[in-house]
Amino acid sequence: MNPREEKVKIITEEFIENDEDANVGKRKKNSKVQRQPRKKQPPTTGPDKMVSEESHLGNQQEPAQDKPQTRLLSVTARRGPRSLPPIPSASRIGFAEFSMRERMREKLQAARSKAESALLQEIPTPRPRRLRSPSVKELETEFGTESGKEVGSTQQEDDSQSYSRVKFHVSARKIKSKPQVPPGFPSAEEAYNFFTFTFDPEPEEAEEKPKHQDGTNQEEEEGEEEPPAQEGANRMDEEELPHGKDAENFLLGLDHTANEFLAVRPADYESVHVRLQREKEMLFIPSRLTVPTYKKLPENVQPRFLEDEGLYIGERPEVARTNQNIMENRLLTQEPGRRWFGDDGRILALPNPIKPFPSRPPVLTQEQSIKTELETLYKKAVKYVHRSQHMIGSGDPSGNFQLDIDISGLIFTHHPCFSREHVLAAKLAQLYDQYLARHQRNKAKFLTDKLQALRNAVQTGLNPEKPHQSLDMIQKTINEYKSEIRQTRKLRDAEQERDRTLLKTIIKVWKEMKSLREFQRFTNTPLKLVLRKEKVDQKADEEAYEAEIQAEISELLEEHTEEYEQKMEEYRTSYQQWKAWKKAQVCKHRPDQAGSGRAEEHPEEETEEPYPEEDPVKPTPPEPTDQAAIEQQVRERAAQSRRRPGEPTLLPELSLAGSVTPNDQCPRAEVWRREDVKRRSVYLKVLFNNKEVSRTVSRQLGTDFRVHFGQIFNLQIFNWPESLTLQVYETVGHSSPTLLAEVFLPIPETTVVTGRAPIEEVEFSSNQHVTLDHEGVGSGVPFSFEADGSNQLILMTSGKVSHSVAWAVGENGIPLIPPLSQQNIGFRSALKRADAISSIGTSGVTDMKKLAKWAAESKLDPNDPNNGPLMQLISVATSGESYVPDFFRLEQLQQEFNFVSDEELNRSKRFRLLHLRSQQVPEFRNYKQIPIYDREIMEKVFQDYEKRLRDRNVIETKDHIDTHRAVVAKYLQQVRESVINRFLIAKHHFLLADLVVEEEVPNISILGLNLFKLAEQKRPLRPRRKGRKKVTAQNLSDGDIKLLVNIIRAYDLPVRKPTASKFQQPSRSSRTFREKHAASPDTRSPTHSADYPLGQVLVRPFVEVSFQRTICHTTTAEGPNPSWNEELELPFRAPNGDYSTASLQSVKDVVFINIFDEVLYDVLEDDRERGNGIHTRIERHWLGCVKIPFSTIYFQARIDGTFKIDIPPVLLGYSKEQNMIIERDFDSVRSLSEGSYITLFITIEPQLVPGESVREKVTVRRHHINFWPGAVSMYVFFSFRQQFLDLLAGDEEEHAVLLCNYFLFLGKKAWLVIGNAIPEGPTAYVLTWEKSHYFIWNPCSGHFYGQFDTFCPLKNVGCLIGPDNIWFNIQQYDSPLRINFDVTKPKLWKSFFSRSLPYPGLSSIQPEELIYQNTDKVAAAELQDSRIEKILKEKIMDWRPRHLTRWNRYCTSTLRHFLPLLESSQGEDVEDEHRAELLKQLGDYRFSGFPLHMPYSELKPLIDAVYSTGVHNIDVPNVEFALAVYIHPYPKNVLSVWIYVASLIRNR
Amino acid sequence: MAAGGPSVFLLMVNGQVESAQFPEFDNLYCKYCFVYGQDWAPTAGLEEGISQITSKSRDACHALVWNFPIDITFKSTNPFGWPQIVLSVYGPDVFGNDVVRGYGAVHVPFSPGRHKRTIPMFVPESTSKLQKFTSWFMGRRPEYTDPKVVAQGEGREEENTEAEIPKAAGVCLCPSPAQLTLTFCPQ
Repeated sequence: MNPREEKVKIITEEFIENDEDANVGKRKKNSKVQRQPRKKQPPTTGPDKMVSEESHLGNQQEPAQDKPQTRLLSVTARRGPRSLPPIPSASRIGFAEFSMRERMREKLQAARSKAESALLQEIPTPRPRRLRSPSVKELETEFGTESGKEVGSTQQEDDSQSYSRVKFHVSARKIKSKPQVPPGFPSAEEAYNFFTFTFDPEPEEAEEKPKHQDGTNQEEEEGEEEPPAQEGANRMDEEELPHGKDAENFLLGLDHTANEFLAVRPADYESVHVRLQREKEMLFIPSRLTVPTYKKLPENVQPRFLEDEGLYIGERPEVARTNQNIMENRLLTQEPGRRWFGDDGRILALPNPIKPFPSRPPVLTQEQSIKTELETLYKKAVKYVHRSQHMIGSGDPSGNFQLDIDISGLIFTHHPCFSREHVLAAKLAQLYDQYLARHQRNKAKFLTDKLQALRNAVQTGLNPEKPHQSLDMIQKTINEYKSEIRQTRKLRDAEQERDRTLLKTIIKVWKEMKSLREFQRFTNTPLKLVLRKEKVDQKADEEAYEAEIQAEISELLEEHTEEYEQKMEEYRTSYQQWKAWKKAQVCKHRPDQAGSGRAEEHPEEETEEPYPEEDPVKPTPPEPTDQAAIEQQVRERAAQSRRRPGEPTLLPELSLAGSVTPNDQCPRAEVWRREDVKRRSVYLKVLFNNKEVSRTVSRQLGTDFRVHFGQIFNLQIFNWPESLTLQVYETVGHSSPTLLAEVFLPIPETTVVTGRAPIEEVEFSSNQHVTLDHEGVGSGVPFSFEADGSNQLILMTSGKVSHSVAWAVGENGIPLIPPLSQQNIGFRSALKRADAISSIGTSGVTDMKKLAKWAAESKLDPNDPNNGPLMQLISVATSGESYVPDFFRLEQLQQEFNFVSDEELNRSKRFRLLHLRSQQVPEFRNYKQIPIYDREIMEKVFQDYEKRLRDRNVIETKDHIDTHRAVVAKYLQQVRESVINRFLIAKHHFLLADLVVEEEVPNISILGLNLFKLAEQKRPLRPRRKGRKKVTAQNLSDGDIKLLVNIIRAYDLPVRKPTASKFQQPSRSSRTFREKHAASPDTRSPTHSADYPLGQVLVRPFVEVSFQRTICHTTTAEGPNPSWNEELELPFRAPNGDYSTASLQSVKDVVFINIFDEVLYDVLEDDRERGNGIHTRIERHWLGCVKIPFSTIYFQARIDGTFKIDIPPVLLGYSKEQNMIIERDFDSVRSLSEGSYITLFITIEPQLVPGESVREKVTVRRHHINFWPGAVSMYVFFSFRQQFLDLLAGDEEEHAVLLCNYFLFLGKKAWLVIGNAIPEGPTAYVLTWEKSHYFIWNPCSGHFYGQFDTFCPLKNVGCLIGPDNIWFNIQQYDSPLRINFDVTKPKLWKSFFSRSLPYPGLSSIQPEELIYQNTDKVAAAELQDSRIEKILKEKIMDWRPRHLTRWNRYCTSTLRHFLPLLESSQGEDVEDEHRAELLKQLGDYRFSGFPLHMPYSELKPLIDAVYSTGVHNIDVPNVEFALAVYIHPYPKNVLSVWIYVASLIRNR
Repeated sequence: MAAGGPSVFLLMVNGQVESAQFPEFDNLYCKYCFVYGQDWAPTAGLEEGISQITSKSRDACHALVWNFPIDITFKSTNPFGWPQIVLSVYGPDVFGNDVVRGYGAVHVPFSPGRHKRTIPMFVPESTSKLQKFTSWFMGRRPEYTDPKVVAQGEGREEENTEAEIPKAAGVCLCPSPAQLTLTFCPQ
């Protein structure tokens, strides 16, 4: 309670006294209304309330109120009537308010004092009745307690009762003293009050409150309503208590009156004691008293305070002492097990979990209006601070840090302008500095003293004054001392010697300098060395010297004797050994070793000893120590290093007292030098983090080569200091400054602040070379002091900068140092021990041992939660369980992220499938909808793939019938795969044109054309064909693409021959090759046949187109030259629905165009029904076919032309002869052509962009084709000829080259023709010259055409390649029909090799000769019989699933015999014989069949060819089949396959 | 799912192409199509569509409003290749030729609910100034062979810049975005 409050209280108390009286009257008046409810209040409520109040006021107030209460009691006792305690909150009244009130009350007091004296006489008697009643007593008790804010607790019940009793007396006395104003009689002060109350409204308010409370619900608290009001109100008025008292008084008074109306009987009051007694039985109320510690701890255990031991203990949550006591008592009683208490005897507690700041956002209280929330706050703009690791104080707005750099001066220890004297002076100064430093330390003295002390110690140690120490110990210590003496002596000698040399050097330099000054007759430096001699007492000195020497000698002697004894020992043992050895070989030699042994030195002796067994030499006894020698040694050394006895001590003193010779007395060179020095000035730049921050003023160089700056730079730093550099610049005259040197200053430690930093000198030196033309010695250049130039010296410009760097101190004494945590590692300081990383470096963190060591050193508290993770890390790392790997792992957490192991991942079928698909493995490349679950993936999905993998290197012979072909097929497959793989890579590389459609830059012609187009007719009469829009293959799906085949007409189809016709003359088709050339077409005459009248239908052909197993056919036309002009539409499906260019290019399907003859057979069995119905069976007979690969159509976009129909050489029942009659006119034109032709137009709708062919994209070798289309490709292909034959696979060019060479080999004139053909497109044919005719050979099929054959597939000719030249077609036309093949005409053919570029005679890279090995006939036969035939038969049966397939063996064997004939005759000339033979043998069969001839490469084309004939389609019930295969082997494994397939129907 | 077939999940997309901002152009129409991975297949709805021609609104924002509905359901077994919608906007140029005004693509949102996407549109640019002029003059602006390429990443790598691969077609961004709002719920 401070004095002011005290005063206030005193004053208020006085007023209380006075007010009381006044209020009593007023109170009476005001509280009349309240009386009624109060009457009902039974007086027994007191105890109840007591209890309830106890329970709810409980703990909070208790500790606070204990003290006031006791204090109040004493106060009451002392003060008597004015004993009302000051209300604690009274002090809260504002002073101003109070003083105002005070004035009022002073007046009041004056008035009252009178009234009081008057009233005092009327003091009513106390009411003993009430006092006696227990209830009243209780009430009084309450009153007393309440007034003191005492909240009773059961424990203190008795106490409170006791002092409430005391209080009662007090209050009773008070009451006695209260003036009892008669009702209705306004006293003087009442009247005064009436008027003065307006000034002081508080009493009014205070009255209102009780009134209000009484009126509502607080009836129980009857007399006590005042104290709650007091508590509740913020402002406590001193007058309230008297009110409470007054109210009490009234209550008491009213009780009195109430008794008159009500039947009064004692309440069912149970004495407190009884009740407490009962409660005690039932309730357990733990004591509040502090539990002694020993109760809480186990027996005989001292409480241990971890905190005192320096361990970290978290802050305990705050719990009131009493509560804690209660809890402890409760635990002790109820839970006797002591688990609840910690070592320190307190309840175990976790650290306080309450954070110092709330984490919940502040809740808007009602009082705060929205307005205040919306109020704008002004905040000063804060400068944006860069956040960077190099910045310090980022995020710390107050972070201005300052570095003070004090540059006091600069001294050159060498400068180019130094004269020789300067050089010496500098040297001298340096030496003197050294001397001073040494002198200051005076190590020699120290060591001498130490030596002395040690000697004394030895002396005392030798005297056995301390008997309790064992002799051993003494000996040991003495030995130690001795060795130390030895060491110290050595050191001392060295030091003394050094001192002496230094002194000598100084004197020497000074002498040099003096002589130089004399020599040059002037002085440059004011340096002056004075040697002060200190006289010494010669005698004493000598004695000391001698004593020292003697001591040393004795020591040395001692040492030597020890050594000697040791050696003697050794000698004896070795001598014994030697003797033994000697005895063993006594006869051998007897060396006289005595003399030589003496002479030998110690080292030799030692060298002998290591090898005593090998060749023991007689050991030599050691030399006894020679005292004189030792003395000699010692004296010599002393003379060298020590001051001679009696010699005065020399103390050099360097002073600047000398005078410098003025300029006019100096020689010219020296004057120049001095002038040069004057012209020079020096300044320093301060670089902070390599940036210039400031510079000193430029100061002239003094004659003493010292520059004084005396400047302090305050660097307000923002970046963390990384480097601090001073640059020394020198300016000569007005020239630009030159950088002399850089001085790197260390960044001060954080402890170094301004004022405490010492001035330090940092040396610098420069490597510049300066030669001067005056006395200056220059720098970096040799000079000499000697006249003859010997003893050269090279000195570099160097010097010292004296400076100090420190951290500045701010206004409030805080050093402006950036925070520690932001300092980088390069900067170390002692303070950094606290930070592990800065202390041991980042690398140390990974080194667990280092870390642990650091933790141990810095005494980290392991219990501090801040260090928890670190401690755990260390404990884990340093315990043996987990080891710290000494390798670095890049992704050490990788394992954590592996959700399954690799094996499991590999086992997953789905993953495998996805993986394979993404690898573009052919089987899975286009796999769609990979199932979600593993279980939905069939194992068989992988079967094909795995099989392929397995068989990759195994040659499989099942599909490929002979092994050679199997190898070839494998090889081709691999080539294909690799090409496809390359293509797939290429596929992802798009050209701009692949992605973006962009018009070409138009040239003039196109522009003109476009302009012309504007004038074009909108609907011309003869519209020009416009190109179709091409469609890229990307956005296509099944059914979008159609193959359009327009069958226009056919020529020269074979016609039927009546089955009954007889043997006929060889027809035209049966002529031999030779005949064809020999005979002129005119010579042939029709040889037949009256069987067919003109105009009779000889054949009813129709065309069937099959593609991808879809079959379409035209209507049936009539005659051998039918015209269908029909368009057939076949859908196209890309493999796997992949319409990409790559996929389309790999389509291998072939369009089969088969020509059939529709034959109607009358199957009406009964002639009688002929009139009623027609019953015919349609049979179709295969006439021939044309095969066009889809890829050709795809690349050519359209195929338009006439094709030769591939008609089997033997077509039983058909012939072509009759057309001679009909079409004689064309005979000459087609004289040399053979067979039948069909005119077709095939295209794809919509037109596909063919894309680039695979080969162009991926083959390198074709790059050159653009240049020399013929030559190079020819040579290229030549190079592959051998391979081509080996592989049995090649394209047109390769065939053509081979054929051409073959012709050349045969001696024919042959050329390779490069041109365009149908359907191949750009291709190579072979041209031969044969008896005034040119023949054009298709190298693949072997067909040949005359030059003027209209049906020749070669449509234009680009160039011819002969064996020695290449000719390009420069004629007007390029159709072979219209060009002249005479290459000798230069106007028609431009030759590649001409006179200007002669044929260089390129040598062929081919083997000279191709060797055609014979093919294994057995294998061919086996292939023929067992494989192909069998497979084909099976196939035919498969194709007829609903019919029985019978094989006519007889016919088959006939056919089989017949096939070799066909091969030998090349399909010519056999038909009729064959027919005859067949007729002979199978007379009663209707026979339909034909041999198919094809080269053999694979089985599939054979099957397709058989299928396409449709032989199997005959479903006549009694049909029989015959199938024969013949393979004719040619060399080099070329196989020619003949398949004869036939159906037979027995004639009835 | 049906007993025989593999399990699939369905992705139902419905929404609309709401509006576009093409400050320079008017009378535009838009096409949309979807690009999706190998494991996806549309099961119902339209995979592509072409909208009506719309004119600029008269208000300040000059939006081209189509409100063109999209409704498609995909089935799939693999989130890989999640469908993308590809939008291409066409309109007449000065001479009345239909030219492309913008391409854009966006993934169908991955989470159910209403989503609004704003797609920046772009068109390929002519490779030279002359071509730019002629293409303008002749009404044959450069355009993608297939709008779907905007949703595909192929051909954009720059590993072999010298010969084979062009740096992806010079693309110029139209200054304004087209907007597409999608609402969809996968099951």
